Amino acid sequence: MTSVSTSAFYERFNLDQSALRSRADALQASIGSGQRLGRSSDDPVAAARLRTLGRADAFAAVDLSIAARASSDLALTDTALQSFAASLIRVQELATQAANGVLTASQRAGIATEIASISGELVRLANTRDSAGHALFGGDATGDAYMLDGAGNAVYIGTATASELPLGDGQSVTRGLTGPEFLNFGSTNLFALVKNLAADLAGAAADPAQAARDALGGLDTALETITTQQTVVGTRLNWIDLNTERRTQMGELRAQEQADVGGTDLTEAVSRLQQTMTVLEASQASFARLSSLSLFEFLR
Amino acid sequence: MASDLLTIATSGVRAARIALDVTAHNIANASTTGYVRRSVRLSELASASGFGQTGDLSFSGVRTDGMIRNVDAFRQGEVRRTGADATRAETELSAYQNVEAAIEQSGMFPAITGFEEALQQLSTDPVDPSLRAAALEQARTLARTFNLAEQGLTTVADGLHFAATDGTDQVNRLAGELARTNLQLARSTPGTADHVLLLDQRDGLLGQMAGYGNIATTIAPDQTVTVRIGGAAGPPLVTGGNVDPLVMTTAPDGTISFANAAGAVTLSGGKLAGEAQGLLLVRDNRTALNTIAASLIASTNGAQSGGVALNGSPGQPLFSGSSAATISVALTSGAGLATAPSGAAAGSRDPANLAALRGALSTADVSGQIDALLFQVSSATQGRRITSDALDAIAGSARIALDQQAGVNLDEEASNLLRFQQAFQASGKAIQIASDLFDTLLAIR
Repeated sequence: MTSVSTSAFYERFNLDQSALRSRADALQASIGSGQRLGRSSDDPVAAARLRTLGRADAFAAVDLSIAARASSDLALTDTALQSFAASLIRVQELATQAANGVLTASQRAGIATEIASISGELVRLANTRDSAGHALFGGDATGDAYMLDGAGNAVYIGTATASELPLGDGQSVTRGLTGPEFLNFGSTNLFALVKNLAADLAGAAADPAQAARDALGGLDTALETITTQQTVVGTRLNWIDLNTERRTQMGELRAQEQADVGGTDLTEAVSRLQQTMTVLEASQASFARLSSLSLFEFLR
Repeated sequence: MASDLLTIATSGVRAARIALDVTAHNIANASTTGYVRRSVRLSELASASGFGQTGDLSFSGVRTDGMIRNVDAFRQGEVRRTGADATRAETELSAYQNVEAAIEQSGMFPAITGFEEALQQLSTDPVDPSLRAAALEQARTLARTFNLAEQGLTTVADGLHFAATDGTDQVNRLAGELARTNLQLARSTPGTADHVLLLDQRDGLLGQMAGYGNIATTIAPDQTVTVRIGGAAGPPLVTGGNVDPLVMTTAPDGTISFANAAGAVTLSGGKLAGEAQGLLLVRDNRTALNTIAASLIASTNGAQSGGVALNGSPGQPLFSGSSAATISVALTSGAGLATAPSGAAAGSRDPANLAALRGALSTADVSGQIDALLFQVSSATQGRRITSDALDAIAGSARIALDQQAGVNLDEEASNLLRFQQAFQASGKAIQIASDLFDTLLAIR
């Protein structure tokens, strides 16, 4: 005969209660933290996925700051190019005035002085600093991009190319322009052109008006080169924007996946908790009833 | 000798009183661990009144034949077997969980991600001293997480080793007590309260021993027990009054094995088996951790040597050491990170060697290796948890099955109290009637 012994009755109640309690505990913890997983072994596959997503998130944050830096450098480049263009237009105006044969030598000398000062300004513009304090047009070099040699000629001392900044997912953008990319054209460069023009007008040339007329063609080409490079910079900025937009979308997808894989479904968790609590209460009530039901109560 | 009503009634009173005593004893021990419900076996006493008078039956009442322990050896064996499995799985699970915690909570994965992140950030401006310092500090954090994980594993191994040493001592202590119980059992008379108590003690000791290792028992007709450790094929641990003590041996790699004078012991159940498994796991994970640390050291130092530091000098190793325990950052300042390719001038912003360093890390797939290690440990832990839960449920139901048979049911005892009280009263009445009958005879004039 199998009889239900008192100790078996209590033992079974203990087992059931601890199972229900631990289930309620786990549900409570997942509701409280909003996370379905307390530790990796709760769901190893989901945990591995969450690790990968978290890693991608961390790199996306770095990509974002790199993109911001590239944008600001390119924006600085754009501003500098505008200044170059403005100065160049002024030089063109002055050269056009100087090309007029009726000007006196002293008037031309005045124009030459202004052009010479613009020439110095151009060298300073070419040594503009980027957001990190390095030469904006010096490629990968630190410090200045151009220096003046003994004869007062601007000489490029930067590297041949500017390095590329990674934008994430294998995409990258060239961070800026090197000086020669927009200041050199044909066999000469803007600094030499402007400096020679100033010297010619100041009296180095036999026919200053003709020298000014000759220089106008070069100045046109220089302006054209600068505006072309402005387009290049604009295109790069667009490329960064495009990547940022894509990164935002990817980030949203990742967040969605993180919530799907690792988040608690509140509705389900709360209803399951309620169910567990109901069972727990019912089993406690029935236990209280049964345990008070002893034959000793009835034997007087 | 003819029937004697007074003697019969007296024997009835005595039997009822003993039965009442046993019932009260059962009630008193209702919640004693390992207590098996007793009952009294009564037998009728009848004999012929004299030689040759076979047709003449005379009654002599009742006598207590002995005490019965209401227990089934099979169910007890099942409780021991399932209990050993469940404790093994539970100990193993806790070792797995501790190893998982040691590796996961050291934060190695976030640290390697942080290091790679810092390197990526550094590529925006390789000469920025703060970015260089940040990268170096991330490398230091990474090295420390390796040290932490290794320390965690050592702590787990120490704990397991301590518990296993204690467990071996406990097995030998229990074996000694079992041997003494065996000797006492051989001397005591079956059916007496003393004998029953010794049987309870024997079964209790066997139950405790099964918690440490899987045992096979053979019960002799005189109720003494022979215990083999490590299952039926294992060497004998207790034979009669003799004990062959269990000895634990620790290998250089920290794993443990057991043997006694009769041969090697392979444990498949009980705490000791779980602890041995746990130590194997620690060893495997330590090896894996060292492999990852070595590949991190080799890939970063290799890339460093291919470039030049900020001051244009050849790149020096970033990490020193060769294992998870010894890895540490060797560079003293962030300026030592070789971001520029070899041949570059001092202060170069050329990030070519930084790209090579990041490439080396991704080729060696350090983060992937850490991820794989975490996945392996956590999925093994998950598997062990499922096993442990299942074995726990099986052991629980085996325990309940034994309790149902061997445990005390208070309702039943209450009704027994009434039953034997009535028997006592009825026998008392029989004594009164015997007295009345005697008085009747005396009253004849």
